[in-house]
Amino acid sequence: MSCWYNISAPEDDIVVSTRIRLARNLSGIPFPSRMNSEQLEQLKSKVKMAVSESNTPFAKTLKYIDMNAVPEVEINAMVERHVISPEFAAKSEGRAIILSDDESISIMIGEEDHLRIQVILGGFQLEKAYDIAERLDTLLYDRLHFAFDDELGFLTECPTNLGTGLRASVMLHLPVCESSGEIAPLSENISKIGFTVRGMYGEGSRSAASLYQISNQITLGISEKNAVDNLKVITAQLIEKERGLRNNLERISVEDTVFRALGTVKSARKISGKEMMNLISRIKLGTSMGIINSDKNPFGILIENQPFMIMRRYGEMPPEERDIKRAQTLREEFKDSSL
Amino acid sequence: MLCEKCGKNNATTHIRTIVNGVVREINLCGYCAAEEGYTSIGHNSLAGMLASMLGDVVTPQIASEEVRCPVCGATFSDIAETGKVGCAECYKTFNRELLPYLKRVHGSTKHSGKIPNRAPLTVKEDSETVDSLKLELNRLVSEERYEEAAIIRDKIRKKEAENE
Ligand SMILES: [Zn+2]
Ligand SMILES: [Zn+2]
Repeated sequence: MSCWYNISAPEDDIVVSTRIRLARNLSGIPFPSRMNSEQLEQLKSKVKMAVSESNTPFAKTLKYIDMNAVPEVEINAMVERHVISPEFAAKSEGRAIILSDDESISIMIGEEDHLRIQVILGGFQLEKAYDIAERLDTLLYDRLHFAFDDELGFLTECPTNLGTGLRASVMLHLPVCESSGEIAPLSENISKIGFTVRGMYGEGSRSAASLYQISNQITLGISEKNAVDNLKVITAQLIEKERGLRNNLERISVEDTVFRALGTVKSARKISGKEMMNLISRIKLGTSMGIINSDKNPFGILIENQPFMIMRRYGEMPPEERDIKRAQTLREEFKDSSL
Repeated sequence: MLCEKCGKNNATTHIRTIVNGVVREINLCGYCAAEEGYTSIGHNSLAGMLASMLGDVVTPQIASEEVRCPVCGATFSDIAETGKVGCAECYKTFNRELLPYLKRVHGSTKHSGKIPNRAPLTVKEDSETVDSLKLELNRLVSEERYEEAAIIRDKIRKKEAENE
């Protein structure tokens, strides 16, 4: 089955993905950091039963995965394709997840909260993603009775998630905003209205692939609809900004940077993870601007060529060998891409 | 220097705000600073915020008779140290202590989002009309709760048969 990162989606020239996350806890069992192994077992079996007993067509696409049965390489590969968080991977022993066939829905059991319900879709699809998460939440609530307080909303281990427990986010490809020095002023304005901008795949605030994640920071006193609507408006403005800046670029300079990247992936014999980020970012700019033709989603290729995703296909190997495999795969993926 | 708000405790926090170009400076004790939604340190980390307040507020009052959450056994010091709340009940046990921080983090202490439907599903027989049952049926079907929907559907058939 095709995963979210391999199919084309609305506004995916700039919006790589949309994610909705709901933090939920059962009353009667302490939150994960104070939970003993017996309570963890109890939690897992309750959630497993709630999903299987709901017996809806929707629930039938979900499978329960015991993390102890998942090999180390695959656990890390799950992080690379955003199925689980790095924090969950680090303490995955004894824990479990529920995952849909296309991996767009995942529920981490025993992360920072008892349940972290996550829906991730390609492109700009905030409403659709929220809708799916909401349906799943309601379906589970009927059986699990999440801890809820009329004043404080859904109760969470970290008070920063209290209220709706909702984290709505979009991942944007903003190479031209970045090169024009627009990210810092944009982040500042966005943070004033309760949202944060975070560079992905990079050190500090800078991103290796010009990828930035925008998400709501506040969960108490703001409704789900408000948070989603505000993020929608911010994202639409960023899309417009990036597109506007792209239109003002000198064509020959963009072509130069895009074709150099394409030339490299078509012929290089070794490509490190970091170099790939930079190359894919430039190729993506090229496909979005109609400079090159490719039926492949460059960011899908980026995910599939992360270190553990490579080892998941070819077995464990040292970094130098992965660089060779990565170059091989990229040559193959882009061999039909034309100018 | 004494706190400029309560005049009782020592001022530990110097707050400088600029609103519409007007600079306002005030010295507060840890407790009043928290009440005003400020903390003595300049970042958002909840653990940091809570821990920084701990010395000022919590220790003198609570240390002698450390209150523990009846469900998980956590004390407020535990929560302050880790930035993590022990269980759902902790929010009741330590409500008073937590509210200033919630205010600081979210700018609000009142949930305004989704309220889950907690009404029990068994509906009283005599208060049911065919129309209300049909509405309920539609809702259950749209939520793919087919088993419950089937029960309602049977009720509608029975009612309609009775009315004929
Ligand atoms: Zn005071
Ligand atoms: Zn507790």
